[in-house]
Amino acid sequence: MFFNSLHFAVFLPIVFILYWFVGHKSKINQNYILILASYYFYSCWDWRFLFLLVFSTLLDYVSAMKIEKSQTNKERKMWLWTCVSINVGFLGIFKYYNFFATSFAQMLHSFGVTSSPILLKLILPVGISFYTFHGLSYIIDIYYKRIKAERNFVDYSLFVCYFPLLVAGPIERATHLLPQVKVRRKFNFNKAQEGIYQIVWGLVKKVVIADSCANYANEIFNHYTTMNSLSLLLGSVYFAFQIYGDFSGYSDIALGTSKLFGIDLLKNFNYPYFSRDIAEFWRKWHISLSSWFRDYLYIPLGGSKGNKLFQVRNTFIIFLVSGFWHGANWTFLAWGFINALYFMPLLLFNRNRKHVDTLVLKANVEGVRTFLNILFTFALTCLAWVFFRSKTLTDALLYLKRMATDWHFSSQYFSIERYSEELVYLLIIFVWVEWQTRHKIEPISGKYSWVKLGFCLASILALGVFSDYKEFIYFQF
Amino acid sequence: MRKFIPFLLKSAAILLVAMILLDILYTVVYLQSDSRSKIDYLYQSKNKNYDVVFLGSSRVNNHFIPKIFNDRGYKTFNFGITRSRLEESALMLELMLERNYHIKTLVLQVDLNINSNDHSEAIRSLFMPNLHVSKTIRSYYQNIPEYYALLCIPFYRYMHYDARIGFREAFNAAIHKKTNVLDANGFHALMTNERPMVPADLSKYYPKRNKGYETIKKICKQHHIRLIALTTPMCKETINRTYFNHLHEIYPEILRFEDSVTDDKYFSTCGHMNRDGAELFTKIVFQSLFNTKK
Repeated sequence: MFFNSLHFAVFLPIVFILYWFVGHKSKINQNYILILASYYFYSCWDWRFLFLLVFSTLLDYVSAMKIEKSQTNKERKMWLWTCVSINVGFLGIFKYYNFFATSFAQMLHSFGVTSSPILLKLILPVGISFYTFHGLSYIIDIYYKRIKAERNFVDYSLFVCYFPLLVAGPIERATHLLPQVKVRRKFNFNKAQEGIYQIVWGLVKKVVIADSCANYANEIFNHYTTMNSLSLLLGSVYFAFQIYGDFSGYSDIALGTSKLFGIDLLKNFNYPYFSRDIAEFWRKWHISLSSWFRDYLYIPLGGSKGNKLFQVRNTFIIFLVSGFWHGANWTFLAWGFINALYFMPLLLFNRNRKHVDTLVLKANVEGVRTFLNILFTFALTCLAWVFFRSKTLTDALLYLKRMATDWHFSSQYFSIERYSEELVYLLIIFVWVEWQTRHKIEPISGKYSWVKLGFCLASILALGVFSDYKEFIYFQF
Repeated sequence: MRKFIPFLLKSAAILLVAMILLDILYTVVYLQSDSRSKIDYLYQSKNKNYDVVFLGSSRVNNHFIPKIFNDRGYKTFNFGITRSRLEESALMLELMLERNYHIKTLVLQVDLNINSNDHSEAIRSLFMPNLHVSKTIRSYYQNIPEYYALLCIPFYRYMHYDARIGFREAFNAAIHKKTNVLDANGFHALMTNERPMVPADLSKYYPKRNKGYETIKKICKQHHIRLIALTTPMCKETINRTYFNHLHEIYPEILRFEDSVTDDKYFSTCGHMNRDGAELFTKIVFQSLFNTKK
C-alpha cells in the first residue's frame, strides 16, 4: 500500500475515524488501533514478513529488559551483542548475502579459482533497514543507560511498527517517540491542519516532481549510450530532483499523517539542495539516518576527537556504511566514497561546521558567492547521484565519460515522446517555491492558505503522473 | 474536531471544484483541436466522402501512401495509427459513420494485430476527451471496468490517461501546436534502413478469431462498405512465416500481401517498410485491387 494509492486514501480515513471516534478515550485503545492498522498496512506488501517484524519487536523488547537487569557489564555486553547480531544478521541475510557471495566468487575468479556460489532466492522485506535501525537505536540507548527499558509491550510494539514510519522512516529515536505513545493523544486542530498541508505538499513532491522526473531520468539512464551531453547532464539533475521529491515527499506524507494522530515524527529533510557545502547538505538530507550514523557509529568510533588521520578514517567509515546501507551494490559504496571525498577538504581545513547558520541571500558580492556555493554543492551531489542511480560502476563511469566528452548540447527527442529539456521549466518553478518557503515546513500554511491549497491540489491533478510511475525509491532499502 | 471537519469538507470542496474546472478546461481545449491526431481530425470533421480509407496500426500508417490513390482519382485517407489494435480500428470506423462519412472501400490491415483481442491503452486514451460528447464512444466503452469512473468522476479520464492526454498534450492542443500526422493524408514515411536487419520473431504470435475484426466486418456489411482485409509485408528474415498460413486458415478472406515486398532495401525495420517500400507496396495493392475501377 503506497501513500499515493487509492488504497491508502481509503485506509487513512478509516483509521482516523476509529482512532478519534472509537479509541479516543484511552491511550491503550489508541495504541491498539494504531498497532492493528500498522500490521494491516505492513501485511499489504507481504503478510509473511509480519512474523519477522513481530520477532524483531520481541527480540528488542526482551533484550532491552535483560540488558537493564544485568548485574555485570559482561552480561550487559553479551545481551547487547546477541540482539545486535541477530538484527544485523537478518538484515545481512536478506539484503547482503547474495552480494557478498557473488563478490567473493568474482574475487576467487580473478585469482583463477572457479566457484559457483549458493545464492538465496529471497524477497527483501520492505522497510527492513528502517525498522532494524529503529530497534538498534533503542537497544544501544538502553545499553548506554540513556533511557529506561520499556515495560509495556503494546507501547513498545507501536514504537516499532507505527505505520507512517514503518517502511521508509524517518528512523525514530525512543527518546522522541516513546514518550508520545505513552500518553493519550488529544486532538489538536492546528497540528492536524498542518498534517493535511504537509500531506498535500508531500504529494506534490511525489506525483508532480519525482514521478515526472522519473520518466525522463529513467529514459536517459536506461539509454545513456545514445544520449548527448545535454541530456546526460539533465539526466543527473532530473534524478537529483526525483530522489529528493520521492523521499522528502514520502517523509512529508509520513510526518503529516502522523500529525493527524497527534504524534510528531523527526524531521527528515531541510531543503538540502540549498546547502552551501557538502557538510551542510548532509545535515539537511535524510537527517534521521545521518544523525543515526553520527550518534551510533561516528561518535562511538571516536568522532572528531583525536588527530586528523583518525577523523578521516571515521569519516570514510561512516560514509561507506551509509552508502552500503542503501543497498548491496558497488554503486552505493562508490556513492558513499565520493561523498566522503567531497567532505575531506572541509574536514582537513576545519570548515565542516562553517554553515550552521540560517541561509540568507543578500544582493551583494557575498550573496553571489553564497549562490555560487549552492550551485557548486548541487553540481557535486548530482555527480554523485549518477553512481547511486546507475546499475553498475561501469555504467556510471561510462555515463560520466560520455557526458564530459560527447560535447553536443542540442535538444533530444526521446522514445517516450518528450524533449530532453522540457521538464526544466517545472523544476525552476518548484525550486522557486521551495526557496520562498525554506523557513517553513510546507508552503501552504499562512496567508491565502486556501488559494495555495487549491493550487497544490490542481497541480497534483493536472501535472501529476498517475499512469507511468508510482513506487517510492526508498522502499527498496 | 469541530473545526477540523469543516476544514476537511472545505478542502474536499476545493478538490472537487478543481476537478470540475480542469475537466471543463481540458475538454474544451481538446474539442477545439483538429490537428494533433487522426482521432481529433476524425471527430472534428463531418460528411466526408472517401473512395478508400485505410485502417490499422503503424503497418498501415507507414505503408500506404494516399497520394498514389488520390493521383489516380480515388479520394483516399490513411487512418492507420501506430500502436492501434483492431478494437480501436473498429471504433474509428464507427466514429466515421457517426460523423456521417461515406466510405466506398475500407482497406484493413489484419495480420500481427489479430493475435490479440486486447486493446491499446495508448490509443484508447485518445478517444477519452470525446467521451461525454460522443454516444458512439460511450456505448463502445460501456463494458470496460473503469467506464463509470471515467464517465462520472470529473477529470478522472485525464488523470488515468495522463501520459497521452495529460497536461503536456492539453497544453500543445491549446496553443495549436501542429504535428505531422495529417501532412500526407495520414501517411507517415519511415526514412531509415536498419542494417543488419533484425528478424521479427512471429513464433510467439498465435492468430485467433478477433472481436474487433468481426465488428468491422459486421459494420461494413450493414453499411455496404467494400472491405478489403489484407496482410502487409514483412522482411524475408522473419522467423515463423507459417503464422500467415494459420491466419489464412482462420480467415480465408484475408488477402495475402506479406510477401509482396521482400527486399531488405525496402524495409526500415523488419516489420515496417521505408518510404520506397511503402511506395512500391501501395502501387502493388493499387494494381491488384483497384486498377480496373476508374
